[in-house]
Amino acid sequence: MADTDPPAGGADPDATATADSGAGATVGSGAGAAAESGDASETDAESDSAAGAVIVPVEPTSTLRSTIAHVAASAAEDGASAIHLVEIASWRDGDPESDDRAAAAERVLERVSAWTTADLDDSEAPGAADVEVVTAVLGADDYLFGADDYVRVLAEYAEANGADRVVLDPEYTPVGNTTLLQPLEFALSNTPLSVETAPVDRPTRRERFRTEATTGRFVALFGLSLAFYLLLGDPTYWFDVVTGVATAAVVSTVLSRVSLDSNPAIPRTPMRIVRGVIYLPVLLFEILKANLVVARVILDPRLPIEPTMNRMRVIVGSGLPLMTLANSITLTPGTLTVRARDSDLYVHSLLPWAREGLFDGSLERWTRFVYYGRRSARLPTPRERDDVAILQGDDATEELPIAAADGGAVDADGETESTADPSDADGVTDR
Amino acid sequence: MTAATLEAARVWLVVALTLLGLFFSFVSMVGVLRLPDVYSRAHTASQADTLGAGFGLAAVALTVGLAGAGFKSVLLLFFIFVTNPTAAHAIARAAFEEGIVPWIEGDDRR
Repeated sequence: MADTDPPAGGADPDATATADSGAGATVGSGAGAAAESGDASETDAESDSAAGAVIVPVEPTSTLRSTIAHVAASAAEDGASAIHLVEIASWRDGDPESDDRAAAAERVLERVSAWTTADLDDSEAPGAADVEVVTAVLGADDYLFGADDYVRVLAEYAEANGADRVVLDPEYTPVGNTTLLQPLEFALSNTPLSVETAPVDRPTRRERFRTEATTGRFVALFGLSLAFYLLLGDPTYWFDVVTGVATAAVVSTVLSRVSLDSNPAIPRTPMRIVRGVIYLPVLLFEILKANLVVARVILDPRLPIEPTMNRMRVIVGSGLPLMTLANSITLTPGTLTVRARDSDLYVHSLLPWAREGLFDGSLERWTRFVYYGRRSARLPTPRERDDVAILQGDDATEELPIAAADGGAVDADGETESTADPSDADGVTDR
Repeated sequence: MTAATLEAARVWLVVALTLLGLFFSFVSMVGVLRLPDVYSRAHTASQADTLGAGFGLAAVALTVGLAGAGFKSVLLLFFIFVTNPTAAHAIARAAFEEGIVPWIEGDDRR
């Protein structure tokens, strides 16, 4: 039966669960029968792809239509039990605009599932009528960082629904700002799922760290560079204006795909700027206050320092919000962001006072205020959420993710030959 | 308020800002010499410096007036506020990835 499954369509934010319970049962029972018919018409090179369901992560890209055509054709031939069209949420439920984005995802899924159904109906292959089409929105209940999170969400969904194969749209990137992440395909290769990139023609070959070029980004970057140029020059002098326009044109042509990872939007972008301006004096005051405390400790030999490494899981989106928070933490004396591993920030603190201030999470709330508005800024402190850990010293609650972390075993000069760096494995993912 | 008192206030403000800048730069220097390891030095090198350079540039802006060069020094201030923590983070991150364990109390390495 080649029909859409409305309950699993992610109409409610908790679509993962819906798909698990609703569609999952159907798919599970259908898989056995499909396996038998699939063995008979085995033509594909992928010998193990006959039985289970296929997952296709969906984003509106230029190659989505041909990817769907390919998936529908190969699923019909292999006798796959179901095609799961999933959208991995780039928003988090409850954030401002999450409703809009969920609705947009919904529309994409609706269109794609219509395509798939139509392709299956047109297909001559005998298995086509048995392929079920399921849609779902995944991961809307948390911020997803990096390829690893996407893979985790996909793998959980695959397991719940008896899927064993993922077909990727060659243009697919989960969100606009995964620019420096390792490709999803590579991360998926560590799972039992078999991965295939749909062999479709790409209109252009893009480099990986580029994002989509849009008029909005171009205009925003053009305006920004022109304004900056004229600030440095003389806005009333015609020569500066002409060279400024030329420079801004070059800059925005070359860089609009690289430097902005989401489209500027009214009223979101201006509101963020206004709230950022409100945040600046607050940050300055925090810096000044903390600086005086730290200056006192540095200048007075009687006051000891008690540095420790700490971990704090923060609830801000990846990209610019995370960078703002990490930089604010570093700017505030006494705390230094050492690493950002997905949403875990590793923060070195110089004094217990600074560490406690960090765990109170006022900077996190302010960052949320700047990017998501006042309502989103109300959340429990990291300490209340139990999202903090001290990694060193007497109060340590967690081990330092460095091989030689147990303290005393370090050589006098701090060199450890056998340091198997635990961070190597994910070194690429967390930029 | 006459122009003369305004001018005097500006001069004293410039002096005060310069002294504050000097003070925080001095703290930064003492910190780099005194603190035990790369992480804690990265703290003080970047942070006290942010205020040191910040007050210094504010003094410059006030001296030359808000037009032209003064405006540029305000832009420089923003630049420092963005790049300074980023540089400190890069240093600390590099150290962390090298597997350097942060100094804690009781550690006899200096």
